[in-house]
Amino acid sequence: MHSDPCPAAFSLRRRWHSTQTPVGFPGAMSRCRTVLLSWIGAAAVAVGAPDYLREVKPVLTDHCIGCHGTEKSENGLRLDTAADALKGGERGPAVVPGDAAGSLLVQVIEGRHAQLERMPYKRSFLSTTAIAAVRDWIEAGAPLPAVETPGRRVHWAFVPPERRTPPGSVPGGVSGGHPIDAWIGQRLKEAGLSPSPEADRPTLIRRVSLDLTGLPPSPERIDAFVADPRPDAYERLVEELLASPHHGERWARWWLDVARYADSNGYSADAPRSIWPWRDWVVRSLNADLPFDRFVLEQLAGDLLPGATLDQRIATGFHRNTQLNEEGGIDPEQFRIEGVIDRVNTTGTALLGLTIACAQCHDHKFDPIRQREYYQLFDFFNQQDEPTLEVPSGGLVQSPVGAAKTSAKPTATLVLAERSSPRRTTVFSKGDFTRPGDEVDPGTPSVLPPLGSEKQGGHRPNRLDLARWLMDPGHPLTARVTVNRVWQQYFGRGLVETENDFGTQGSPPTHPELLDWLAVEFASPTAQGGSGFSLKRLHRWIVTSRTYRQTSTIRADPLGKDPGNRLLARQNRIRLDGEFIRDVALVASGALDPRLGGPPVHPPQPDGVMNLGQVRREWTTSAGGDRYRRGLYTYLWRATPHPALAVFDAPDAFSTCTRRNRSNTPLQALTLLNDGAFVDLADRLAQRLQVGDRGGDRLVEGFQRCTGRRPKAGELERLRALLDQERRAGSDTEAWRTVARVLLNLDETITRE
Amino acid sequence: MNLTSDPTLAGLTRRHFFSRCGVGLGSIALASLIDRNAVRAEGSTGLTQPLAPRATQFRPRAKKVIYLFMAGGPSQLELFDHKPRLNALNGQAIPDSYLQGRRFAFMDSSFKNRSMLLGSKRSFRQHGPSGMWVSELFPHTAGIAGEVTFVRTCATNVFNHAPAKLFMNTGSSQFGRPSLGAWLTYGIGSEADNLPGFVVLQSGPRGPRGGAVNWGSGFLPTTFQGVPLRGQGEPILNLTAPEGIDAGRQRRAIDAVRDLNLQHLVDTGDPEIATRIAAYEMAYRMQTSAPEAMDLAGESRATLDLYGVDPAKPSFARNCLLARRLVERGVRFVQLYHTNWDSHGGPGETLESDFEKVCRDVDQAQAALVRDLKSRGLLEDTLVVWGGEFGRTPMGENREKTGRNHHIDAFTIWMAGGGVKAGAVVGETDELGFGPVQDRVHVHDLHATILHLLGLDHQRLTFRFQGRDFRLTDVHGELVPSILA
Repeated sequence: MHSDPCPAAFSLRRRWHSTQTPVGFPGAMSRCRTVLLSWIGAAAVAVGAPDYLREVKPVLTDHCIGCHGTEKSENGLRLDTAADALKGGERGPAVVPGDAAGSLLVQVIEGRHAQLERMPYKRSFLSTTAIAAVRDWIEAGAPLPAVETPGRRVHWAFVPPERRTPPGSVPGGVSGGHPIDAWIGQRLKEAGLSPSPEADRPTLIRRVSLDLTGLPPSPERIDAFVADPRPDAYERLVEELLASPHHGERWARWWLDVARYADSNGYSADAPRSIWPWRDWVVRSLNADLPFDRFVLEQLAGDLLPGATLDQRIATGFHRNTQLNEEGGIDPEQFRIEGVIDRVNTTGTALLGLTIACAQCHDHKFDPIRQREYYQLFDFFNQQDEPTLEVPSGGLVQSPVGAAKTSAKPTATLVLAERSSPRRTTVFSKGDFTRPGDEVDPGTPSVLPPLGSEKQGGHRPNRLDLARWLMDPGHPLTARVTVNRVWQQYFGRGLVETENDFGTQGSPPTHPELLDWLAVEFASPTAQGGSGFSLKRLHRWIVTSRTYRQTSTIRADPLGKDPGNRLLARQNRIRLDGEFIRDVALVASGALDPRLGGPPVHPPQPDGVMNLGQVRREWTTSAGGDRYRRGLYTYLWRATPHPALAVFDAPDAFSTCTRRNRSNTPLQALTLLNDGAFVDLADRLAQRLQVGDRGGDRLVEGFQRCTGRRPKAGELERLRALLDQERRAGSDTEAWRTVARVLLNLDETITRE
Repeated sequence: MNLTSDPTLAGLTRRHFFSRCGVGLGSIALASLIDRNAVRAEGSTGLTQPLAPRATQFRPRAKKVIYLFMAGGPSQLELFDHKPRLNALNGQAIPDSYLQGRRFAFMDSSFKNRSMLLGSKRSFRQHGPSGMWVSELFPHTAGIAGEVTFVRTCATNVFNHAPAKLFMNTGSSQFGRPSLGAWLTYGIGSEADNLPGFVVLQSGPRGPRGGAVNWGSGFLPTTFQGVPLRGQGEPILNLTAPEGIDAGRQRRAIDAVRDLNLQHLVDTGDPEIATRIAAYEMAYRMQTSAPEAMDLAGESRATLDLYGVDPAKPSFARNCLLARRLVERGVRFVQLYHTNWDSHGGPGETLESDFEKVCRDVDQAQAALVRDLKSRGLLEDTLVVWGGEFGRTPMGENREKTGRNHHIDAFTIWMAGGGVKAGAVVGETDELGFGPVQDRVHVHDLHATILHLLGLDHQRLTFRFQGRDFRLTDVHGELVPSILA
């Protein structure tokens, strides 16, 4: 007895499919339109019961036609129209009208056939409801629809998102409240759940400060916010944080993960490289709210823009963050190709949210991406030289908090430049570059809209065409993938949980309408005529929602309706990224040097770390303020990553990282307890508390500096007991040192509540 | 002093907690901290103790693994794969039939003038019940031939060091896949509750190429990644309490962190906080247990001499002895890296004096490890694996002195202990040692076999990532029954 493992999701998908209408991509959606028309047509001719078009065809379309359709027809059988099902294949008719039990189709989907495996082959069995629909239709004589377009399976993510009106809102009005809350609230209501109350103000300001700037608020700022009587105190706070120069630093880290940024070449020798001007360009661009379409376009193809500026050329460093193998005895062409492959895969994962990499060696097993199409994408990235660009010294980052000094000498950064004569691109048989196959032209997967330049004809498409195609507001994937990965930062999980797989094997969105609303609104220009793709606007939408502002306290869920909190009846507690754990300790202890940008720095790390690589690299601890710069600026050696970052799951920068693990290990405990860098910061915090610059209870102040809130009576009592205990065991300074270490080690200190 | 050993403190904490919180959730969490078995029981759900031991899929033949990784690619032709015909053709051109369809590293330096076949200068004798040929460079290893299965036809896919090491460890030359040790600890946890489940030890003039990715956890949680224990100084980074913090102070700090975290656990209900409390307790135990495990003071003179260990000096021999101590303490997977086996013929990499030296570095100790494990009854359920990321070519490479190139089609690895045939040879290469003529054992097959010995089916040990179930063996790998006892 098998049932559909997830009937709710199934019905949701169904509902959603049937309402698709084409938008965006003017003139570019002809393929999808045909498909959509078949859906619309399906609804239009639906008569009688059981209704083939409404009840049966969707089952066959979703589960059967991948192997029995236009593209593949195993054993000569097609099931994309009712007529084809009656006709059957090599084993005769699949459907015998009036005799469900005698119909081959029913026998195989029920697993009753003597020779044939239960269908769908190697997939989940059909639900009892779906099987019943097929049976009923056949028992009723298998009536054919008057008109039938062959069914074609269109995966939701390949259909452009549609502009939607949030539930409960008046079109064009605001009476429905925040659109995010409307969508989230609707699903909660359906599930019989209610949202959590708004978090208290200390929690809220720490949460939104960490999310928008990666830095915790000062006790003074917390107190001011708590005391602020204005009704828009929170919105004002959000604007202040979005305008902070540290906002760009926090969200640059988000993008650097995707870009596999590091300050060394990787592989075995792991020589140093200079590409930090690109990192500073990212910080700068995010602070300036460079629209995301421009942000991506300049990184993929800034050098190809007419009259490319210095900044636009620096931006192309994005795809120079590939590793470089300098091992002796290698075939340089092999590793050039490895680099190109990494560029294709990174682009596919980061922007398309597809596991395109699977098609390097063979046609994608699950998604409609052919191996040939992989190499058509490959061609875009196969046409570059990889030069070094000299960047004039000084002034890369302008900031009210100051910019780190750069030397008077010009700095080098890595960029892309198009070759004058294109390389020939071929398919590589089994992905092996020594086995070239058919030659291919540049192109994009046919399941997605065609390249804009294809319409115009003419020149051979290049990276700029690819970038424009990706960032077209009507592209079905790019905006969805992007808003989903931004959402993931705020809630710990995307609306699509498989943030790097929007393909058929990925998880369906928990809130498809909300995902589409966010994607469409994100890409659209503002009502005031401002440009679309504003990331700051997207941040603002999310953090001002009630959904975001809820408490994260886990509530009893006696009925087990939503054990994973997928419906967001509360916020999620999120352990901070390694860089921000350091930043929190820097701020709490007052040690932070807030300057922006500049060459990477060398905060303290344990001895011997650099011995682990093949070539022993230098690590001379930075002097002065550079010792206390934000985690973003720590020198990132790929072979010998800084242990305090690696232990908290900082990515290894070998390939794109679209979601960090969040582990919880004894080594993290040892780092926070014993690492010299953290002990140093604990000492500084202790000194700060001994001086007691805020007046009042120093234990309260210390707790507040680390967690953002005042301790409860019991917590304060425990801290006081510790302080007394330690004073009995040694000096006052030692006692405060222990208190400071305890505070920096609290789970709450390294967690965004 | 710790919670489990100090009933007074445990009682105090319990009283303190109950008086203040008196909440069911908290009492459960506290009980699980005080009674380690309760943590275990909960750990079996993976909630607070991801490294708690888990059931295998079927009866295991081995429970622990010591993997001796010979970084750089040792020459099988100087050690194990005895080729009189190659010696006879020394200095002659390679027959065309051997070159077709093959790629070799260092194309330019070796192949511009097509390098010549290179016989081995080493003398070989047959040893043990299998009659395995072992050269004069490995006299001690020859002595354990009766315990060992030699596989002469191991084959891999990639011939540059870093990708090949990655391939040998993760079954893929792409970055981002979990290593064997990570898969094992993910699959069956570890029996050590005060040491990491997967430990890495290193020796030789430099670290292995590729560094930490070789023992990385890839897309698995970092809980499962290898933890390098260091030969000198602190065995684990940040293991020692900071200067000026004595054990009592450290314990009091951890107690305070625990109590405050516990309060917050009660307030928020987030089980991650319970995991963190358990992690701090493990960290505290490691502060004692790791130095104890690394301290050779309790080892007898006879044992030290068996391995050839000078306790004061880091060495492969010292690491072998440490490996035995670690598996004795329940560590699941111990991996030793020893460099440098990369014998190209250049300075420090000759097949003459340099190769002899690296052989001396490992020979006595690796044989001693097998003997020592056996005499202590540990060999029965401890699997020892020895091998590099690839082997060396039958052609010579002439730089300053003689060397050989990287070769991926056939090279020798050996295994001993837990479930492996005692005294056997698997596979045979052609008369020049280019490729297998019988029983090719691909890295994927080796991985499938190792997992099998540990009670895991390589096709069923999976992790869902990016929309598909990943395996150590990808879509490949076949069990090699001829290795099994």
